[in-house]
Amino acid sequence: MTQLGAITAGVLLSMSTLVTGAFAQNCSIKIGAVLPTSVDWGRPIAEVAQYAVDLANEAGGVSGCDVNMILRDSQVDPKVGVDAAKALIDLDGVQLLLGAVSSGVSMPILTSVAVPSDVMMMSCCSSSTAFTALAQEGKSKGLFYRTFATSGVQAAVGAMVARDKGYGSVAILYKNDDWGQDISKLIAADFESLGISVTSSVALNDAQPSYRAEVTQALKGKPEALYLALYPTEGAAAVREWISLGGTQNMILANSLKSDEFRDNVGLQYLGDTTGTDTASPRSDSASAFIDLYKARFESEPNGPGLSNSFDATMVALLAMHAAGKDASGSQIASQIKNVTDPNGTPVSANASGFAKATGILSSGGTVMYQGATGNVRFDKFGDVSAPAVTWVFTDSGTQEASYITLEEVDKFMALVK
Amino acid sequence: MIQSLTDGILVGAIVSLGAIGLTMVMHMLRFANFSHAELLSIGAYSALVFDALFAGILPSLANNIGPLSMTWALILSMLCAMGVTGLSAVLINEFVFKRIREKGSELSMVFASFGVAMIIRNVLGLIFGLKSQLYSNDIVFAVMVSSEPQLLIKPDQVFVLLAALLIMLVLHFVLSRTTFGYALRAVAENPSLAEVTGIRLSRIIALVWIISGLLAAAAGVFYGLNNHINPVIGRDLVLPIFAATIVGGIGSVFGAVLGGFIVGIAANMALLVLPSGYSPAVPFLIILVLLLVRPHGLFGEAET
Amino acid sequence: MFFTTIASILAIAVLGLNLQWGNTGLFNGGVVAFFGAGAYGTLLLGGTPQADHIGGFDLFYPLALIGGAAAAGILAWVVGRLTLHLRHDYLAIATFGVAVTFENVMRNAQGLSGGAKGLRGFTRPLEAWVNDGFIYNVLFLTVVVVLLICTYWFLERLICSPYGRQLRAIREDETAARSLGKNPGAIRLTAFITGSCILGLAGGLYATFYAFVSPQDVLPTLTFQLWAMLIVGGAGNNRGAIFGTFLIWGAWTASGWSLARFAPVEVQLYTGTMQFILIGLVIVGMLMWRPQGLLPERLVVSQSGTKKLN
Repeated sequence: MTQLGAITAGVLLSMSTLVTGAFAQNCSIKIGAVLPTSVDWGRPIAEVAQYAVDLANEAGGVSGCDVNMILRDSQVDPKVGVDAAKALIDLDGVQLLLGAVSSGVSMPILTSVAVPSDVMMMSCCSSSTAFTALAQEGKSKGLFYRTFATSGVQAAVGAMVARDKGYGSVAILYKNDDWGQDISKLIAADFESLGISVTSSVALNDAQPSYRAEVTQALKGKPEALYLALYPTEGAAAVREWISLGGTQNMILANSLKSDEFRDNVGLQYLGDTTGTDTASPRSDSASAFIDLYKARFESEPNGPGLSNSFDATMVALLAMHAAGKDASGSQIASQIKNVTDPNGTPVSANASGFAKATGILSSGGTVMYQGATGNVRFDKFGDVSAPAVTWVFTDSGTQEASYITLEEVDKFMALVK
Repeated sequence: MIQSLTDGILVGAIVSLGAIGLTMVMHMLRFANFSHAELLSIGAYSALVFDALFAGILPSLANNIGPLSMTWALILSMLCAMGVTGLSAVLINEFVFKRIREKGSELSMVFASFGVAMIIRNVLGLIFGLKSQLYSNDIVFAVMVSSEPQLLIKPDQVFVLLAALLIMLVLHFVLSRTTFGYALRAVAENPSLAEVTGIRLSRIIALVWIISGLLAAAAGVFYGLNNHINPVIGRDLVLPIFAATIVGGIGSVFGAVLGGFIVGIAANMALLVLPSGYSPAVPFLIILVLLLVRPHGLFGEAET
Repeated sequence: MFFTTIASILAIAVLGLNLQWGNTGLFNGGVVAFFGAGAYGTLLLGGTPQADHIGGFDLFYPLALIGGAAAAGILAWVVGRLTLHLRHDYLAIATFGVAVTFENVMRNAQGLSGGAKGLRGFTRPLEAWVNDGFIYNVLFLTVVVVLLICTYWFLERLICSPYGRQLRAIREDETAARSLGKNPGAIRLTAFITGSCILGLAGGLYATFYAFVSPQDVLPTLTFQLWAMLIVGGAGNNRGAIFGTFLIWGAWTASGWSLARFAPVEVQLYTGTMQFILIGLVIVGMLMWRPQGLLPERLVVSQSGTKKLN
């Protein structure tokens, strides 16, 4: 090849790299994440958020820049969480904050840091109804979104399962935090209006050495089934006690127990009559795409509280950031959320190629409908997400869907029990 | 109700083992050691490691003994874990507590013990991960001893109770019948006078730490057998163990044993009257009530 | 600036603790209960009415704040009467138990405290009037610092006063003090209540700053943090208390920040656990190196002994 030919080839080659732009970003955008990494269930949530960021970068990043997620531990402590958020906003200049998990941490961050600084917050897992109330009062200025379906839907689906299986009496074991207190009240009300008797509703506190007494309490009244709104650690401990004391193996689980740790510590042989509930991963390519990706990266299925929610939270937020353009403020990013989750938009899947496709469409002014690990993510005007539901059962390798319940069916059921 | 009573006794055995070690250390060394419960974690995790080792070397050891989920491998592991924990206890004293005692006040040691507890807990978390683990995944079913009133007991729990009582009996024998036991009690009463009779103080102190480590390891393994193992079992058990020690009176081994059972029973029977959301507060309510009536615990003495 | 505000609020709390431990020798293991009483009290008295729990009296702010401190004081009176006669370690555990019970009640009694969701509906005083977020934070910080200085001044005067001498007397040698006709029980109780009111004041300010409080804010971790601040700074010395607060809170937040910034990406997930190990090492290290604290107690000489006896 002549020298001129070599130079031309070189120039063309480097130009083509610029065109695809796949790995050659030389700018970076920071986002913040305040998540409880020092707690056993918190670490995987942070891991999966980072993974989403990695996929986005693989697909060309946001507005042509690499995304750099700065992770801070909230220690499930409001002071520490607020301080971390403040440092991220003031010192690192982030306009987007992922987190927190616990509502008791998300709320002070929102009111004292995010709203005054016009920073958008996207939480994977804060479930308190107080956020809806705050949004209704206009105090969150449209800056707070969460990919965690409010407990009303979860409870309704749990009650549906009990009705469909014909259980006449149910005992409830719930985690004594804002999420658990909420969902237990809601599902007890749903059971009552269906004519299913609630024999007892027992709170399990964190950090207790033994739950035997609580389990013994729940066994009284010999319920036909057990509803569990717990996290894997205390869930496994409680269920092991329950089973060893001869409690029924008919169990209904909230989505927090969709976890390998739970399945392994209890044992698949005892989980044959157990059904779980969750927000839907639709029977579409996108949902299985997420599971495949996750398996490839982490060598296990995405089972565990908040994982799919965390992934979707990150992806949706990053897409909105791209749509808002470089140097966008928090409220500008927040205003783009609707363009990322437009039911009439082009469907995009939750992986690198889907992200790349979405950024292309958004750059040219179009809208997309993000289909992720938790389904077709759709927010209402208060930043809450509503979604169709699934029921699932445990398998050797993870979980599998047992039935799919559309949003209309859920809404109809909820109207029925009111 | 009888179920709660029985459960309480069975749970209490583990707390008692932990409390004995704590009361000995607290009385001898005059400080509240908040890192004591972490010794239970060290014991439980060491046994986990040894168990995997022994089961790997000699698979026949990994068979359950009768109706229990205890295996010979686990018993051997427990003995090894006791050694490891006893050693850890002595080392921690050597490198941390002894130095602080020389320079600081009693409060500094309490605080240092918090710091040590934090370090141990998180190091275990870094090494073993934060998720719960089990010695054996089998769920052993409880035996229905009687059906009206309903009384269910797991064989494992009976084993733990008997083993704990055996250990306590051995300890009692050692303390009351052997020269070593006399030396220990002498040092607890009056260290300077004991030294005059030729007892080497530093040796006795090291032995106290070793004993408390041994007992803590046993308690940790029993807890792991009946419940699960994770880095925070120390954090979860420290308060019931302290409650047992206080209720029994600091310095009294018998008090610690009784205190453990009282705490276990109260924690289980409390749910008959209080909603379960309040169960963490129950050991303290007992302490508060007991201290109103007997300000030094059941068998404790006034501060020297 | 948030850091300074929170550190100042915590410093007020540590000053209260110093009165109880440093000056009077009371090992209060349940600090967070009094802090929490102030926090919840202030929000309940000063908040707007909410659907599912009592409170919402919407009182004029200073009254709400004083009400919170008073709630802490009342709690201290009850607890003090029941427990102050106990020896050291028993007192610590008993008061710790009070704190655990307080947190449990706040978590479960949803009609009283909103339960695990926490208390909302509080509008910060004058916030609507001062429209700018930044200026409001500066004003708030100023008020907190002023209160901190007032508390410091009050406690310094107290130590030099006859009452302060009584406190030291009963701390050092109770029998001698009793022989002089002093009533140690009553003196200790007043010190305990005063210290707790200061803790309640700090709690009220804390809750005001976030306009929100939940059971997550009244966990034993806070008791541990406040004690660490006092021990490291120097028990018995008010300046030490303030210094220790800024140091420990600074270390706590800086360690999180620097681990996030400087640790390699592979270990980012473990930085939370590592931070706790670091903090544990700092505390143990401090205690091994300088257990009396960075600014130890100054011996207060009330009268110089230079008068010669004839």
